[in-house]
Amino acid sequence: MISISLTVNKQVYQVEVEEDLRLIDFIRDKLMLTGTKEGCGEGECGACTIIMDGKTVNSCLVMAFQAHGSRITTIEGVAKDGALHPIQQAFLDVGAVQCGFCTPGMVLSAKALLDENEVPNRHQIREGISGNLCRCTGYNKIVDAIELASSYIKEGQQDETSSSGRQ
Amino acid sequence: MKPLQVVGNRVLRVDGKAKVQGAALYPQDINMEGMLYGATLRSDKPHAFITIDLEEAEKIPGVVKILTAKDVTGHNHHGVLFKDHDVLCAEKVRRIGDPMAFVIGTSERIAKEALKKIKVHYQEIPAVFDPLEAMEERAPKIHGESNIIYHYKCRKGNVDEAFKACDIIVERAYQTSMVDHAFLQPEAGIAYMDEDGSVVVLAATQYPHFDQLEVAEALGLPTEKVRIINPAVGGAFGGREDITMQIHLALAAYLTGKPVKVVYGREESFYAHSKRHPIMMKYKTGATKEGKLLAMEVMLVGDTGAYASWAINVMRKAGVHAPGPYEIPNVKVDSYAVYTNNPFCGAMRGFGATQTPIGSEQQMDILARELGIDPIQFRLMNCFRVGSETANGQILHESIPLVQCIEAVKDRMFQELR
Repeated sequence: MISISLTVNKQVYQVEVEEDLRLIDFIRDKLMLTGTKEGCGEGECGACTIIMDGKTVNSCLVMAFQAHGSRITTIEGVAKDGALHPIQQAFLDVGAVQCGFCTPGMVLSAKALLDENEVPNRHQIREGISGNLCRCTGYNKIVDAIELASSYIKEGQQDETSSSGRQ
Repeated sequence: MKPLQVVGNRVLRVDGKAKVQGAALYPQDINMEGMLYGATLRSDKPHAFITIDLEEAEKIPGVVKILTAKDVTGHNHHGVLFKDHDVLCAEKVRRIGDPMAFVIGTSERIAKEALKKIKVHYQEIPAVFDPLEAMEERAPKIHGESNIIYHYKCRKGNVDEAFKACDIIVERAYQTSMVDHAFLQPEAGIAYMDEDGSVVVLAATQYPHFDQLEVAEALGLPTEKVRIINPAVGGAFGGREDITMQIHLALAAYLTGKPVKVVYGREESFYAHSKRHPIMMKYKTGATKEGKLLAMEVMLVGDTGAYASWAINVMRKAGVHAPGPYEIPNVKVDSYAVYTNNPFCGAMRGFGATQTPIGSEQQMDILARELGIDPIQFRLMNCFRVGSETANGQILHESIPLVQCIEAVKDRMFQELR
């Protein structure tokens, strides 16, 4: 067993883990955050994507002990105070969700992209989700959703500035 | 009339909000108090008689029970058209990946460890992997006395006479490959006993009502004692129409009285479910020099692998669609479904109609080139319109906007190229 400490969705955990425990199993089986999905177990499909220190990683390819000291966001940490994140709202509005198994990973890849580049073009969006497979949609609606999310985020910032301006 | 509430309006999926938040529950996300874990022992030989020795595996601490064919309490069979699958192979395996035993243990690790300790003695017998060879009299038989399980015939007009009148005849062979659905959520499930003594199986399936019949028959229970619950399904595309682990889980819960869960990895998922039928096609198509199709003769051989699954329906549909969307006065189609020792094939998007355009449309391109006619024009000259009659005699009375479709594609295609 190895002792690690890490932050998942803004909560700090100090835990003992088996040496051969994968990060995905720690997240799903120990923290019971089952929104992170396992589609292939070998880093091909991206269903297990999480954000670790600002970058997306396949949590099936990271050992739990390697996450020591890191800051992790899973799909459960994306919505704020019960309100959907603009990316989640855009996925819903566009109809970018079908079976839903790739959705958590897609949303997190989109978030990591938009956190770095607020207004990506379609090519950059495609590159941003190039590590995530979807077997249902054919991707176009997912790209549309991320484009829409980008505009939602910009509008949100304008609303915030204008409302603070009025105060 | 009240304005329509759904048609013509954007409606959010009922499960959308849960899915974007990662809150939707797929079978692998569901856990129960005191549950046991299952693991499946699968054949690594394509055709063999088997005997199984469990002695060493059963001694492993934490192994609760190991199920084999003799533990099946009802009929040891299942299958959507023919009951040609064993729940757990009794005497013979017919493909790599056939399930032979199901270990129930207190943890996934223990169950998988026990798989390695089960000794299987294989007495290998000749196998056949080429569907044309499998059709021959002397080929090894997968089930029963013939590997040919279906022959669809379509006859319209007289192709032999019509080919004599053709100015051009193109003969080619085409072959499509086996395809996996690769739905993103690998199979998983959990089964338990209800307070009233019913077996409850929770698994992602396309066919819960049929699963109920198959589980009931295999366990020897009345259907009202079997419940199938379908939680979120992570894609299917036809690949969840056949039973995979439903009966193994139901038996395990029924015999141990405890909840039992199983989760397949990606590799096991490939072994467990059906594939798209690879089809060998021989096409002979004839036309006049003006570009009017006169005759088509097609032979299709679909390799259904070790089990029939939906082979008959798939190869019938392939046969019906073999001429493509074209008016051809003389047509002869023979479509076969054949057993081999390959992975088994069944439903996958299009159900047989997806494969044949590989042949029929390439025939159209080759004919157009040989005749010196624009391939789009050639299609417009021959395609179905309202009032056309298909090869199998259906009169198309309405909704055949194929000409508009081809025109629209043509306009857009050349726009994109400009």
